[in-house]
Amino acid sequence: MRRFLLALGGLWNASRKVQAGVLILAFFILVAILHQPLSALIGHGRDPLALSEAAAWQMPNGEHWLGTDRYGRDILAMTVTGLTASLEVGAIAGLLSTIFGVIVAFVGGYKGGRLDSILSGTTDVFLVVPSFPLLITLSAYTSRVSLFSVAVILAIFSWPFAARTTRSQVLSLRSRPYVELAKVTKLNDFEIIFQELLPNLLPFIGVGFASASLGSIFALVGLEVIGLGPSGILDLGQMLNWSQGWGALSLGAWPIFVAPVFVLAMLFFSVNLINIGLEEVYNPRLRKTAGA
Amino acid sequence: MIKSVPRDSQPGGQGLLATLRAWRIAHPLASYAVRRFLVYLLTLWGSFTVTFFFFRLIPGNPIEAYIQSLQAKQIYNASASQDLVKYYNTIFGLDGNLFQQYIHYMNQLIIKHDLGPSLLNFPDPSQVLIARSLPWTIGLLGLATIISWILGLILGALIGWRREKKAAEWVTNVCIGLSHIPYYFVALILIFLLAYQFDLFPSTAAYNPVYNPGLNWDFISSVVQHGFLPALSIVIISVCGWMLSTRMLMVTTLGEDYLTFAEAKGLKPRHILMRYALRNCYLPLITGLGINLGFIFNGNVLVEQLFAYPGIGYLFVTAVQQLDYNTIQGIVALAIFGVLTANLILDLLLPVLDPRVKYN
Repeated sequence: MRRFLLALGGLWNASRKVQAGVLILAFFILVAILHQPLSALIGHGRDPLALSEAAAWQMPNGEHWLGTDRYGRDILAMTVTGLTASLEVGAIAGLLSTIFGVIVAFVGGYKGGRLDSILSGTTDVFLVVPSFPLLITLSAYTSRVSLFSVAVILAIFSWPFAARTTRSQVLSLRSRPYVELAKVTKLNDFEIIFQELLPNLLPFIGVGFASASLGSIFALVGLEVIGLGPSGILDLGQMLNWSQGWGALSLGAWPIFVAPVFVLAMLFFSVNLINIGLEEVYNPRLRKTAGA
Repeated sequence: MIKSVPRDSQPGGQGLLATLRAWRIAHPLASYAVRRFLVYLLTLWGSFTVTFFFFRLIPGNPIEAYIQSLQAKQIYNASASQDLVKYYNTIFGLDGNLFQQYIHYMNQLIIKHDLGPSLLNFPDPSQVLIARSLPWTIGLLGLATIISWILGLILGALIGWRREKKAAEWVTNVCIGLSHIPYYFVALILIFLLAYQFDLFPSTAAYNPVYNPGLNWDFISSVVQHGFLPALSIVIISVCGWMLSTRMLMVTTLGEDYLTFAEAKGLKPRHILMRYALRNCYLPLITGLGINLGFIFNGNVLVEQLFAYPGIGYLFVTAVQQLDYNTIQGIVALAIFGVLTANLILDLLLPVLDPRVKYN
């Protein structure tokens, strides 16, 4: 455990990109966790998302920092609440697909042989099948789904990516000297996987988790833009759907679509920064030359 | 008595196998191509099968949905006759058990090259609808992909070549920020600014219906005008991705010894850049381009939907809303076919482009 913390500390110090990415991500997660007190603060004691007497389609002002929507609801509060739901879906879908993908990758990559061929063949077929169209179809047929079942559906389509990337890492680690040493000292497979391989792969798995979460969040946004997806849940995609349905683009009411687009873009940016930072740390050839 | 006989020279029995093996050894290139092609067919069959069963396992009856939609349009009375349902079941290939349906579908797809009738435009088969949307998608996405690849290659080579400059560093960071943003977001902002605020470009459809489609100037300029915004929103983002990958390849290549040697020989920097550095980056970039071109057949659902652009993605969403089985399945099959075929062509082409690639 101590060794692991030290390694994390080393990673933190090694790259400013990782630092920046983690800080941005942490900020959004914090906002999502604190969404209740925050939206109370925004509404000055009243529920900022209730239909109110405030004028519709206000531009940003002192009272409503990001203006209001068609029903006079505060857009900043909507964004904060929507972020929470989006991150929740992302976390569930990311977790499920990472766990499943990592198990497939470890079983196949470590054991090798025919089992590996079958598992990676299955992964390949899933990778080729275009996921977004199937996702659209699935949500069109299964109307009235909950947040959780949407997350499960999203996970079904994102696990192959996790499995693919983790497997290649397992393959390269499997033949390292310290794994050989562990085999010679008669550690069993489970001990080798959990004590030797897994700790070394944690950063990759972490990035895989973040990418899978983001992929799921965006897939959900895409579904909602088309008008599918879970009903009655306010998340960032729902805001985009409203902005289109209400003609916010032609009304010139920019906050309702700029706010979710900005938040989502920043999420993508932070995960991307962490990803690139880690790559530089692990691939020293890039470190010196990659800008900043 | 122990005798070691090489298996190839065993007399009789395995004549055909032996000839095959001899042929494989004599023609490594052709045998690689044949093997690769067999793998391609196998994967194609596998993914068609997966999608077939996926669609059949989804609850919901398309015939019922269709008859309901006809009733909503008051074409039929309260209930459709049993004969009609039976007729529809037959022409939609829904007779018999799942396995019989599978055989019917595969036979229809592979032997007859028919996707079955569509529901969107009933007696027309689905491939007609798809063929109508395909040119728009290929035109829009194909051009956008190629333009952004070329731009990305040039700009990426530049920022990789001048990587110590502050400006190059900043451009790189901006690219990192933009490269993973979905096209759709940019499209939203562009529509808002360029179509509504400044009224420079139209925001929907592929051409102005006033003009007759054909090879006349009005029609073509209308198509270009309507295609500009969707193409721009794709190009802005994907250029950043290509720039980053070109730069990454350049940077790793620039550390190689032969570049130092080229410099020591006194070659002009431009010559070194074009002939020595960039040439060694082509391979992964061409692979990337090929894969991206394969993905075109997916259409871009969100961008096409936002601009009401009549491509594959738009057709797909309409088909899903009508629960039009055959069209949905046809588009998915087309997408799979595109990706797999692009991969096949790349695998066969790469060894020709770069002699360092080995067949195996």
